[in-house]
Amino acid sequence: MSEFDVIVIGAGPAGSSAAIKLAQGGMNVLLVERGDPPGTKNVSGAVLWGDELSRVVPDWERSAPIERFVTRKEVAFLTERSKIAISYSSQDLMEKKSGKIIVRGKFDQWLARKAKDAGAMLVTGITVDKLVMDDGKVIGVMQDGDVVTSDAVIVAEGANPRVLINSGLRPKLSDHDVALGIKETIKLPENVINERFNVDSKGGYASEFVLGFLEDGLLSGGFLYTNKDTVSLGIVASLDRLRANGMTHSYDIMGKFEEHPFIKNLIKDGIPDEYAAHLVPEGGLASMPELYGNGYLVAGDAAMFTFSNGMVLQGINYAITSGLLAAETILENKTKINKETLSSYVTKLRNSYVLSDLYTFNGIQNVTWSDFTQKTMPKILDSVMMSMFDERGMPKKHLMQVLTAAVKSNGMRYTDLISSGYRMMRKM
Amino acid sequence: MLNIVVMIKQVPDSSEVEIDPVKMTLNRTKARNVVNAADLNALEFALRIKDKVGANITVISMGPPMADAAIIECMARGADRGILITDRAFAGADTYPTGLTLAATIAKIGNVDIIFGGDETTDSSTGHVGPGVAEFLGIDQITYAKEVDYEDGYVIATRDLEDGDETVKVHTPVLITVLLNSNIPRHQSLRKKIDAIRKGVESWGINELGLKPDWVGLRGSPTIVRSMKAIKEPEHLHKTVPIDQIDTIIADLVSKNIIKVGGK
Repeated sequence: MSEFDVIVIGAGPAGSSAAIKLAQGGMNVLLVERGDPPGTKNVSGAVLWGDELSRVVPDWERSAPIERFVTRKEVAFLTERSKIAISYSSQDLMEKKSGKIIVRGKFDQWLARKAKDAGAMLVTGITVDKLVMDDGKVIGVMQDGDVVTSDAVIVAEGANPRVLINSGLRPKLSDHDVALGIKETIKLPENVINERFNVDSKGGYASEFVLGFLEDGLLSGGFLYTNKDTVSLGIVASLDRLRANGMTHSYDIMGKFEEHPFIKNLIKDGIPDEYAAHLVPEGGLASMPELYGNGYLVAGDAAMFTFSNGMVLQGINYAITSGLLAAETILENKTKINKETLSSYVTKLRNSYVLSDLYTFNGIQNVTWSDFTQKTMPKILDSVMMSMFDERGMPKKHLMQVLTAAVKSNGMRYTDLISSGYRMMRKM
Repeated sequence: MLNIVVMIKQVPDSSEVEIDPVKMTLNRTKARNVVNAADLNALEFALRIKDKVGANITVISMGPPMADAAIIECMARGADRGILITDRAFAGADTYPTGLTLAATIAKIGNVDIIFGGDETTDSSTGHVGPGVAEFLGIDQITYAKEVDYEDGYVIATRDLEDGDETVKVHTPVLITVLLNSNIPRHQSLRKKIDAIRKGVESWGINELGLKPDWVGLRGSPTIVRSMKAIKEPEHLHKTVPIDQIDTIIADLVSKNIIKVGGK
């Protein structure tokens, strides 16, 4: 007889959501977290899209530590001297509470507390070493030589999947599987944020940036989210390019981003409060481990469930949903947990947006992490915009002529532009 | 079997504490709560004695109810029992009644051979409490210990003093205060933490200890804080001079009475 029905590794959004649902279903749950308190090992931005949590915590938006609701969403290309952005503001965003800006340090602690309140045993400050197998079945976890047994394990350990790797259940991470994220939290008075970002005290600004211009040969994206009285500013840089470009340091790229003329003013007079780095799953389907096995399921970042199509960066919603589906799978099969019964987890994921999105957008990283998206397109857009707005007392040209000149001056052929653009539209 | 008590304190993580520029007090609200670092070094020495000859280790702490997390953490590292000394009557205590309260706790536990504590806490840095407890109990004490061993009823400890190391051998019962970073504390264990959570932390108040309200807390504290001042760091001037002009600079500094020559 096992000591616990289920052990959940990791008290992030995936693990805590799973633990809440399992505990609500009457299971004896152990939730183990490396950070003390939960959330301290996390670096994520962050915006939480969607409302899946309401399935286990009704009215969660009332009690959760939400900084602001997204009312203004931007996607922008930066070049050295310019910014070309799509900016969307809407009262509906606020009314529907589509995007919740959260600080993970506070949010994860709150969500883990909900799991504890639901009856799970929460153990913090402990890093699990690996899963323990007996006759091909997972029978618990090992830490510091001790075995703690359970009928099933949910691995929700995050972007650096040590337990899966140590247990021989996934290969080591390669540079294609993950990117490097760096985040700085900058203190600014609440009223300054409201004025600077043109939001009211409940509304918030969330923006993603394409930062290909920052460094030769390097590909990176940026983000900026307004919290209540801080701003989260960060970059995500591709590891293989960073490694290839041996002379470049990640903090230099972050520094250049901060110094950009259109970023500098937004964080002016701010006081740096935190500076942290973390891995970000980027590989999509190709990097995904086996999602289930005899006695275990994988959820959240550990399963590489993140989504980025250049317009949004998402992961927390995928984590919550996959955690809930993992819990559901175990609850439905609690009397007979084996590889066959747990396979229904994948069916559930496929029927939800989690795996559907990853299949629909399979290969998107080849577009978002391409020189075309990162370097060429911003330059072309910049040339087009400048020639349209810089009035020099010359006869005006059609947009097509302006575009042709911009394409040419950037050393591209029209056919390249069309095929790259087509690929991009298709993938996005 | 040896009976060991380790005194610990939950403190705000000193790297996250800010000083409120107006009130001149520590703003602890944002900081994570941790076990005072030197206390973990003290616990580690206790655990090494337990590993060597076997011992029953009780961790005690005076603090608010939430400080039980710090005691659970110590049990997850290997302590056997946890007692939280918590009561509204203890609030506002300076180091004198704190020492008295801890001594009363140790007396109530009874038959204690060795008492450990960190040499000071990061949030007040007085270093009073350990010696105070030893005096209230009327037992020997070893302060500033950086190495601790136990053999046949004696504690052998090396003290880190300003003019050198001093090794002492003291018969139990004895109280030892341990210097920060004198060892590497072991990690928490999942197995032990689960057991600790199930076992729980005992809670003792003023009645259990048989203390009078006048002896403890703010009323029992002889310290009075009259006011606090921020110390302004003096401005530093920097000047680079060629090496052959050092004499003139020295002469200038002497003439302005900034430095003195002749060993006066």
